[in-house]
Amino acid sequence: MSELGMSLAALPQTWFATPIGAIALTLAAYFLGVHLFKLLRHPSWCPPVIIAALLIAAVIALLPIGIDDYNRGAAWLMLLLGPATVALAVPLYQQLGQIRALWKPIVLTLPLSATLASCYAVLIAWLLGAPREVLASLAPKSVTSPIALSLTQELGGSTALLMGALMTTGITAIFGVEWLSRWMRIRDQRLIGLALGINGHALGTVRAFEISHQAGAFASLGMSLTGAFTAIVLPLVWHLWA
Amino acid sequence: MSVLRGFLWLLAFFLLGQTIALWLPIALPAGVIGMLLLTLWFCQRGGMNTDVVAISQPLIAMLALLIMPGVVEIFFVAGRFADQAGAILSALLLGTLASVASSLWLMRRCLPPETPHE
Repeated sequence: MSELGMSLAALPQTWFATPIGAIALTLAAYFLGVHLFKLLRHPSWCPPVIIAALLIAAVIALLPIGIDDYNRGAAWLMLLLGPATVALAVPLYQQLGQIRALWKPIVLTLPLSATLASCYAVLIAWLLGAPREVLASLAPKSVTSPIALSLTQELGGSTALLMGALMTTGITAIFGVEWLSRWMRIRDQRLIGLALGINGHALGTVRAFEISHQAGAFASLGMSLTGAFTAIVLPLVWHLWA
Repeated sequence: MSVLRGFLWLLAFFLLGQTIALWLPIALPAGVIGMLLLTLWFCQRGGMNTDVVAISQPLIAMLALLIMPGVVEIFFVAGRFADQAGAILSALLLGTLASVASSLWLMRRCLPPETPHE
């Protein structure tokens, strides 16, 4: 009997010995998060990903396993971020017609907007005395996660802090775009979509698709171009400046 | 099968991106190089590969799920950045609101008004 109890107590370690436990936990938490999100009537300040991350953190805290055991397994899932970045070529190609038609205003505004999105945060944090590691984790905060992750590793930032920064930025951008566009009386869906994609990366793009298909298309355009532009410029500027 | 063939294309372009990254003077993520090359390839052949489209839609829809494991860790390392919390939060909240405001303002000035047929 006690033998059975012993093996039951060791069960969590068995589950998390291979990546399968961590992957199952991530998927289960994600679907539960989406379900709870619907039950809570789509609160814009608390996207399903946050609910799911809290659920996973709670499970890890309750079970006799550590964050490292979870990360080891979840790394297998995050490997997909690489091919997922390559897959962004599809929305980018679909928008090429729109980009060609609007290339002038986009070329004028997007690099500046993408630069400001990064500069404001780095400047505020620097003025408030944040160390270099924190600045490197905040700089790619408006870029879609697969690009932001490789950027922050390149600059020497903390992955965990960047992830938190990405979440906070996404939620703030969604809230900010909705509030400011109402205040500035902007109803142009292309504009709202671009602003959501440039400032709020994947989270903003998901929100833009909820507003309308056109807003979503422009948001994925804003997100892809901000990602590509920041990926090229940020490492250059960072190494010149540092 | 179409999804798996598409996935192989994505992996091939990712590996190509890794290869090219070795020769580039700046450190560009392999995924980004792969994305740009794949877009160029679509342009060159004048259309998208249906297998790649089949895998791209579910993969892009999964982006939020793929970010999540990284988010979990912040709850466990938050203590390390506790003394920086003020600077980090003001940078994120104020910085994002400021950049949203400036991009909306910039684009309202520069984007031509929507034509009716769009």
